Amino acid sequence: MSIRSTLKYLFTPIFSLLLLCLAIAAHGQATADTTSAADIAVEVHKIDSAGHQLCIGVDIVRPIENAFVSDRIGYEFQADYYLHNELYLAAEGGWGSSTVTYTDLKYNTRNTFYRLGFNKILLARENKKDWGGMFMGLRLAMAPISRSAANYTVIDSVWGNGSGSLGPKEITSFWMEVTGGVRVELVKGLMAGWNIRGKFMLNNKQLKDLAPLYIAGYGRGDKNAVFDFNFYLSYAIRWKRNFPQLVKTKLSK
Amino acid sequence: MRNRKWKYKSNSVIIMVLALCVVFGVASCTQEREPCYTPTIASLNIECVHYTSDTATTVLDTALPKAIFGALTNNGVKAVIYPQTANFTISLSSVANSCQWIMSTDSVAYPFDTLSFFYQRKLQFLSNACGFAYFYSIDSVHFTHNQDIDSIQITNTSVTNNVNTKHLKIFIHPDF
Repeated sequence: MSIRSTLKYLFTPIFSLLLLCLAIAAHGQATADTTSAADIAVEVHKIDSAGHQLCIGVDIVRPIENAFVSDRIGYEFQADYYLHNELYLAAEGGWGSSTVTYTDLKYNTRNTFYRLGFNKILLARENKKDWGGMFMGLRLAMAPISRSAANYTVIDSVWGNGSGSLGPKEITSFWMEVTGGVRVELVKGLMAGWNIRGKFMLNNKQLKDLAPLYIAGYGRGDKNAVFDFNFYLSYAIRWKRNFPQLVKTKLSK
Repeated sequence: MRNRKWKYKSNSVIIMVLALCVVFGVASCTQEREPCYTPTIASLNIECVHYTSDTATTVLDTALPKAIFGALTNNGVKAVIYPQTANFTISLSSVANSCQWIMSTDSVAYPFDTLSFFYQRKLQFLSNACGFAYFYSIDSVHFTHNQDIDSIQITNTSVTNNVNTKHLKIFIHPDF
């Protein structure tokens, strides 16, 4: 890999991270400004009254893709738990496989994948029942991949074709994701939302000898950076919901 | 406030429906195999040069009038006749660690010179779209002196699918 490519793949996730941090900082600054401008004499401390929420969902895009594409399948699930201050702990997982049956290349792969990270809602909550919103998030993901033996043919019209085989291999891939999207509550407890993801492979060296056609949860194994799209349909379980409380403190002049 | 919230929610639902339509569209256009945009054969690029005189130290490109390069394969000679040029591209055998090419500077000139290449092969995965190819590391090149070849210089031993790298310099006799 050239220095230029290395820098590109190093700086792209760092730049995305910076953007995310700036967005979160700007959101925090906007909230603070609004509070101070609205009430000069009274400082308002808003207690997080949203209660607990566990949201479990399924990506409905994958079954659609599976129906249209014959050489790969994938399934994806997600769960997130509300921590505080519009911050969610997010976990995702799934599995998938791919089958390559080209004239000059034949192999198949299977993998599961796991992601862990967080989502931060960017727009302020209007009331305690407001569980939707625009969010950005970060993920760290891993996927243990099992690849079968690969049969290849090198096509050479001058000297003649050459064939061979690569043995089966177990690989573990790691990547980082920057995600952003929107989620709304359609009816009580039923949430729908889409997000886009930028994914950046962290250990691509081990994929050099034969990068999988498809890594479930990531996408094309021969790309160091990919973009993806999810559309989740989720069900939210809520408990210990508190009523909103505002604590007002008189400022001494 | 309630209207604003409802508007935000309905807009979001509309965006989601549109996003789903895009997904359907993209999924229905998915190709079976991506097209391959990189060369799948490692090319050995040759530059023919000559000294302007026996004592000259600088070289000039030698455009051969109608050069012939022929691969000596198990199934006979596979030859290519080039129009007037000083740059030629040939390939090494992917089924052996050596191969031979015959060469003539002009299609009417006989006999041919024989170039023998000795090298090591390395299997290289290009992509799922392009499959595998062999890259080579040249050990040595031997040649006959039947015609106009004065000497041969290996300028780069690594033969890959990079078409811009020159690997061999063939020095033609100054009196050619």
